[in-house]
Amino acid sequence: MRFVPSSLVRAGQLLAAVAGLLLLSGCDFNFWRMDGHQSTMLAEGPVARSQLNLFYVTCWVTLVIFILVGAVLAYTMWRFRARTEADERAEPPPQSHGNPLVEIGLIGASVLALVIIAVPTLTAIWYTHDVPEAEKKNAYEVTATGYQWWFKFEYPSEQAAVDSAGAKTPLVTGNELVIPAGRPVRINVRTVDVIHSFWVPKLGGKIDMIPNRANFFWLQADKPGYFWGQCAEYCGDSHAVMRFRVIALDEKDFAAWKEKQLALARSVAAPAAPVAAAAPVAALRAFKTNEVGVSEAFDRNPLEAWRAKQAVEKDENSALVAQGRELFAAKTCNACHAVRGHGAMGVQGPDLTHFGARTTLAAGLIENNPEQLRRWIRDPESVKPGNKMAKAYRDNKITLSDAEQVALTAYLLSLK
Amino acid sequence: MDTTAKTAYLTKEDAVPAQPKLLAHPTAKTGLMSWLTTVDHKRIGFLYGVFALFFFLVGGVEALLIRAQLMYPNGTVLSAQMYNTMFTMHGTTMIFLAVMPLSAAFFNYIMPLQIGARDVAFPRLNAFSLWTFVAGAIVLNIGWIGPIFGVQGHNAPDAGWYGYSPLTSKQFTPGHSVDYWVMGLQLLGVASIAASLNFIVTIINMRAPGMTMMRLPVFTWMTLITAFLIVLSFPAITIALVELMMDRNFGTVFFEVSGGGMPILWQHLFWVFGHPEVYILILPAMGIISEILPTFSRKPLFGYPIVVFSGACIGFLGFAVWSHHMFTTGMGTVATAAFALATMAIAVPTGVKIFNWIGTMWGGRLMMRTPMMFALGFVWMFMIGGFSGVMHSAAPADTQQNDSYFVIAHFHYVLIGGSIFALLAGIHYWFPLMFGRKVSEFWGKLSFWIIFVGFNVTFFPMHFLGLNGMPRRTYTYDPNLGWNTANYIASIGAFILGIGIAVYFAVMIYTYYKGEKVGRDPWDGRTLEWSLPNPPPEYNFRVIPTVHARDAFWYEKNNREQIAAERAVAEKAESDHGGIHMPFNSIWPFVASFGLLIVGVGSTAFEAKWDVPGIHWKLGLSLLGGLVTLIGIYFWSLEGNEGYHLHLDKDGKPVQGHDKDHGHGKH
Repeated sequence: MRFVPSSLVRAGQLLAAVAGLLLLSGCDFNFWRMDGHQSTMLAEGPVARSQLNLFYVTCWVTLVIFILVGAVLAYTMWRFRARTEADERAEPPPQSHGNPLVEIGLIGASVLALVIIAVPTLTAIWYTHDVPEAEKKNAYEVTATGYQWWFKFEYPSEQAAVDSAGAKTPLVTGNELVIPAGRPVRINVRTVDVIHSFWVPKLGGKIDMIPNRANFFWLQADKPGYFWGQCAEYCGDSHAVMRFRVIALDEKDFAAWKEKQLALARSVAAPAAPVAAAAPVAALRAFKTNEVGVSEAFDRNPLEAWRAKQAVEKDENSALVAQGRELFAAKTCNACHAVRGHGAMGVQGPDLTHFGARTTLAAGLIENNPEQLRRWIRDPESVKPGNKMAKAYRDNKITLSDAEQVALTAYLLSLK
Repeated sequence: MDTTAKTAYLTKEDAVPAQPKLLAHPTAKTGLMSWLTTVDHKRIGFLYGVFALFFFLVGGVEALLIRAQLMYPNGTVLSAQMYNTMFTMHGTTMIFLAVMPLSAAFFNYIMPLQIGARDVAFPRLNAFSLWTFVAGAIVLNIGWIGPIFGVQGHNAPDAGWYGYSPLTSKQFTPGHSVDYWVMGLQLLGVASIAASLNFIVTIINMRAPGMTMMRLPVFTWMTLITAFLIVLSFPAITIALVELMMDRNFGTVFFEVSGGGMPILWQHLFWVFGHPEVYILILPAMGIISEILPTFSRKPLFGYPIVVFSGACIGFLGFAVWSHHMFTTGMGTVATAAFALATMAIAVPTGVKIFNWIGTMWGGRLMMRTPMMFALGFVWMFMIGGFSGVMHSAAPADTQQNDSYFVIAHFHYVLIGGSIFALLAGIHYWFPLMFGRKVSEFWGKLSFWIIFVGFNVTFFPMHFLGLNGMPRRTYTYDPNLGWNTANYIASIGAFILGIGIAVYFAVMIYTYYKGEKVGRDPWDGRTLEWSLPNPPPEYNFRVIPTVHARDAFWYEKNNREQIAAERAVAEKAESDHGGIHMPFNSIWPFVASFGLLIVGVGSTAFEAKWDVPGIHWKLGLSLLGGLVTLIGIYFWSLEGNEGYHLHLDKDGKPVQGHDKDHGHGKH
């Protein structure tokens, strides 16, 4: 039998190794730290922590086994390999068939190792399933509903004003779930169309939203914070851009937020005198497909950014806001969106009553600022392929001029 | 021992009355007709391999497009819809059109040789399985006419390889794509079940004298277990697909939410099939590895009974863990706990196999040839994939990993590092037997190293991506989530892996035409297939061997005189009974499958509307296809199961003309 020159093989191996290293050296290694906004390795609540601790158990047990078995395997490969052609031509080794004692011993050892994993697994299954009995009274309840492709959050225990006559309805928000920190939150998950999955990695593993199935889940944030979440079950074209945020607030902030939310939408008094024709509005710059819509400044302190968003926009133009409010009805936005107190009662799209106080839009996808908002309302299809708002534009032949985009943007951002 | 005791058909018959012309047996030995009418398990196995490798490359291109899209954040290589099509078709293609048929290629080609048989039990059914598989593959891929040729309203499937309801309903996926997917999988299921029944009957009934069950080569054992898994698990998805088809086309409400249907039902049915499917993909690979390691260690397999038993154990437990794909569906505490524990339990027989492979090498003389390199690569990579699998069994931790890139890393370690590495090892291992040529060790090892490096560079970083919160099946991601570097590295790795696969196949094609010629038994093999000349003659064994030990050929090589004496007796006995019995070729299995193709296309590609082309085409083609299939099956039965006899000269060449034999329905 012909032998390959082993020097050639070695050279090939070396080349591959060097090429690999060169390739890697050009990269920034931060991915080893796994400290992203959606990291499961940075638990910020008891549910996520219980899951993470269990992960570490499985990780260490398997790592130890891997090192033991791998060491034996490596030794076997090194020790018993045919080194020379003479080795290969030598008489075959003794034809042994196995050793039952060794095998049964190894099976026993494997079972033991699995018991180490099984016990904490069972404990964690029961712990993460529902709010612990002792804390049930203290638990706060919300209902999360998946839509293609956004999330609706409903607060069944909070009654919000519908009109000035005093009618009430449970509070509804969209895409940003505000919860009290330090309190267990029980989340009922529902869907109106296909299967979605509710996942906020830093607060807890996911639960699927399945039609005809009353699933629930619980989580708790240790302290106030701003958390990234994302749909984790493939749900059609724009699954990748179906995201959301969870904002945990301390007791005082949460109460303040709630009070604002329960009120009707903010109305900006229209200017007394009719306004002169507005200056020509600049066209919006072009956006690339899938262009990123979040800024680094926002990422540095997202909770502060959220707080800042609660205040009225600095350059609010009451004339534009009034014009935008009219357009909201004229362009039939109100057929799908609700703005409590402004006569908009639509239920198919996210509730926009306090839209201006949210940090993101288009389901946690892009930052809620005038430029991005204009990008979205001008051409929703380019931001989120296949979404219903784009379809409504097509079906009802809705188009927005540059001036109309600016006015609508001003109105929506005034809804604090 | 009388070797002919079991073979009742070896009786000499008088001349048979002339057949009507329509039923004349095709006799082409070369050319297209010879391939369309072949019933030779080796030629069928070869065709399975060719089709599987073609689809392996198609699935690979789909994978590279996926990685190109994700190389940078906010990528724009593919649209959202096209990306979703790519991951759906990548998964479906790799599982049903690449790995399964590649395993089937080895089942067909190698298994009968390992048990000392001259063919499978039902040679024409075998041809039917092959062509029905091709029909299914065509139907599954027919939707590409939409994006590639711009045919309106047609798309390749884009609802995920697991087709979760209700996304697959008419309401959410209105086009034809899901219909192609449903019908394609149905046809593939027919092909797989028919082939599996064939293998089961073959292994149980057609073993050479002395080949007891506990002497079967491990690859044959794994073929048997896999065939049982296919026969038992495919009915679940068949039912699910029928229900989905009814929901989409006839207004039933199995999964349709508006009518009170239960989408969760789909998940249970799908995974009752889907999890055994995982073992359908990996058990043949384990069988191949259990052949290669002993050969290149020059030692018998360590603990053969335990390896076989653990394979069977995996087969049984594989049916008891399906819901570990559903830990996030809110099953409640008890069900979750039960499936978590069952999943942990399955790690034991899997681990046993690893221990036994190491035991096989221990004290051996390891010949580091290319097949051995791939086999060792398999053991390492499969270990890593197995360990991340154990991590998934811890249900609460899995709720974080489920549908994240961690899962992608896990199952690619099992399916590429496992199944594909083993299948690539198998190709190298049996190539000399199939074609009489051997791949150059340098180029073989070079391709191994490129594939090995590329594979790890691609998939190892995905563990970190998943733990860092990147969900699966997402066509885009933002740059502020810490996923950029790992995605970039993974994409570079994918291109390296692609180059490795290209080198592998280039070398293989070169070797097929120009490679170094080798004689019989180049690896000093241990099982019966290596006792044959290469390539094996159409009748396989000049004399059906008598088996005396587990590594039958190894025993033969060490007891030549005893075997030679036995052979002489057996050969004379067979010759006295009329010579070597061979089945006739037949075109009817191909006709029957072709009819299924017409049904598959006709029933899916047209709308149920009164305009043209609409319901008329749909109904017309379905009926026509059904008729063609019926005609195929009718003539298949009519031509009967006769065969002819071969007489061999000293060199194993057939002498004189065909010597017809008709079977009286005995075989």
